[in-house]
Amino acid sequence: MMKQRLLIIGALILLLAIIGYMVVDLFFTGRDKRENLYDYRLSELRQTDSTPVAYREILHFTPGLSDLHGIAVDDSDRIYVTGSSSLEIYTPDGNLMLAFSLPDPAYCLTVAPGGDLLLGMEDHLEILSPEGELISRWKPEGEHVFLTSVVTNGKDIFIADAGEKNVSRYNWEGVLLNRIGDKDSLQGIPGWVIPSGYFDLGLGRDDELWVVNPGRHQLEAFRPDGSLISIWGESSMDVEGFCGCCNPTHFALLSDGSFVTGEKGIERVKIYRPSGEFNCLVAAPDQFDEGTRGLDLAVDSKDRILVLDPSRNQVRIFVYKDENDENR
Amino acid sequence: MILLILFSWQLTSAFAIQRFPKPEFESGYITPETLLPTPRANVLEVMDVAIFLIAMLLVTWAVLNRRSRKLVFWISIFSLAYFGFYREGCVCSIGAIQNVTLALFSGSYAIPWTVLVFFMAPLLFTLAFGRTFCAGVCPFGALQDLIAWFPRKIGPKLNAILGIIPYIYLALAVLYSATETDFIICRYDPFVGIFRINATFSMFLFGGGLLLSGIFIARPYCRFLCPYSVLLNWISRFSRYHLTITPSVCVQCRLCEDACPYEAIEKPVTVKNPKSRRTIVRTFMLIMLLIPFFVLLGGWTGSRLHETLAMVNGKVRMANELVNPETINGEPESIEMTAFKASGKPVSTLYEEASGILHQFYIGGWIVGGFIGLIIGGFLASRLVTRYRTDFEPNRGTCLSCARCTDYCPIKS
Repeated sequence: MMKQRLLIIGALILLLAIIGYMVVDLFFTGRDKRENLYDYRLSELRQTDSTPVAYREILHFTPGLSDLHGIAVDDSDRIYVTGSSSLEIYTPDGNLMLAFSLPDPAYCLTVAPGGDLLLGMEDHLEILSPEGELISRWKPEGEHVFLTSVVTNGKDIFIADAGEKNVSRYNWEGVLLNRIGDKDSLQGIPGWVIPSGYFDLGLGRDDELWVVNPGRHQLEAFRPDGSLISIWGESSMDVEGFCGCCNPTHFALLSDGSFVTGEKGIERVKIYRPSGEFNCLVAAPDQFDEGTRGLDLAVDSKDRILVLDPSRNQVRIFVYKDENDENR
Repeated sequence: MILLILFSWQLTSAFAIQRFPKPEFESGYITPETLLPTPRANVLEVMDVAIFLIAMLLVTWAVLNRRSRKLVFWISIFSLAYFGFYREGCVCSIGAIQNVTLALFSGSYAIPWTVLVFFMAPLLFTLAFGRTFCAGVCPFGALQDLIAWFPRKIGPKLNAILGIIPYIYLALAVLYSATETDFIICRYDPFVGIFRINATFSMFLFGGGLLLSGIFIARPYCRFLCPYSVLLNWISRFSRYHLTITPSVCVQCRLCEDACPYEAIEKPVTVKNPKSRRTIVRTFMLIMLLIPFFVLLGGWTGSRLHETLAMVNGKVRMANELVNPETINGEPESIEMTAFKASGKPVSTLYEEASGILHQFYIGGWIVGGFIGLIIGGFLASRLVTRYRTDFEPNRGTCLSCARCTDYCPIKS
């Protein structure tokens, strides 16, 4: 009987304590002490296991430009860098060969098979000779043109326009041949989602056109006529995927068809196999300043990866760590 | 047929929510983490409502037609699994009180139809059949029923005193919903953290404590906290086909006396000394005076407490912090205050809004206090009245229609 009474009293005290907690919490805590439910920290995501970092930085140099925008290499592995209203050309080991000024900043560039330079100058394209002489200049169609990437296979010129949110194929005279990648449900083309000024292009080993669809965290491949070949990429906060509003911001292709990708938000450079599976890290977030964006990429004939780091104002060159590498 | 079923299942993808990557704002805005369950696809909402109504029908049939505790138990296990762990305790009829209140008082809030069904259906069923919803559909009740291993009786007086708490809770929940302050039923939901397996430490203690006390005091939340039980209690008193302990004539065997862990069985009270007419009139007069006195006393007390009640409101609290900065005792600035300062809104606007809310709480304080006074007055008045009965009967208000007593009754048909 006594035990039963104790049980009831104990249970009642517990019940009253719970009710007391509610009253105190509701009326007497005064201020909302709940932790910030909306806290969203990227710092934890920046922590990566160092194991998948398979590359090491062998060289970096600082171009004589500010506001770095674009990087490219030619068949002789010469390095072309654009920045604030000028362009500089370096030897593969980072020695300045040539520099010349530009009328406007070039936000993107590529080197044609013959050596001509194609520069995307916000709302128009300029084609220069290898010596920097203007060959032609024309404006793509549209009112809000903002060129973010240009590539050529020697015959056609492909342009990514983040302002007009389209990809176009032009001939060398500036005549529009066709659009690529516009939404087409019948062909299974999802359409472009371009939330910011990052919209990159690249040519694959079979001259197929690869385009980043940054809002969808995907890379999409097309034939020159605009027919879809393939799509890969997944949204994920893990290292295997892409996250944020618009990633990857830039990419380049290795000789074996693998993809090198550059991201913002969680600043990192990664490699994906030709099938789109994550392979390894080239550079982890702790190798970049926080807030770095615009990590343009290029790959030379020796598969060295050139990363344009606008925050440190450097061109950084990474090579694969081989088995005998003491830094591996 | 199999193909038809497979293809029809594919149709559900048409209702799927499109995934779109989260934007990264350059203004410093931080995307909030989604903490609530994702919105339900329309087709699944319809399914939820259908399952809810079927469960209500089944449990009512099990209680009234089959008079089977075993069936009620298994239906409650299903409800716990589906509405509790699978649907993560949302929508729930208890919390729907707040949605309905908000819809009544706020012109900008449109109540979802599913919430309305979850709120109304148990009330209508109760009006017809008693609290069969509590018996086997409410996941909160089912969870507590599962762990009522050693139920002990706490006595009618304590039962009645603690039974006033749900009325106070209901009054406050309605007040805070009507003034768009907070959904306190959800804020102090003891079991949702268990259903979602993501309870904070304090909520885990809260829910765990209730379950622990529920081992010895059966269904403590349902009996001494649940605000929805107030509505069900009222309506159930008028139910047309309420559960009876015996299907025919009570033989006074007293087997059911200890069957109910909720102390909801009324024992026979026979007339020994009939009261004189004078005593009856005097009791009636006392009640007539007692109730208005408590209503006025409660209302006055509530109106005096309106500032304390209003301090739960974020705007009032912020205005108070700005007027009386010493109240925060050097604690860091609250998130709401940071957001308000960043919004660039003038302080005078905040003061005006807070003043309007305070007035609402003044009126609300009178109503809430008066209501609580009415309940206390009614409780005291009920002590003055003796109700006579010849058989063991379930208390129509507090009986949860769990059908335990029918198992004990030797009369089976």
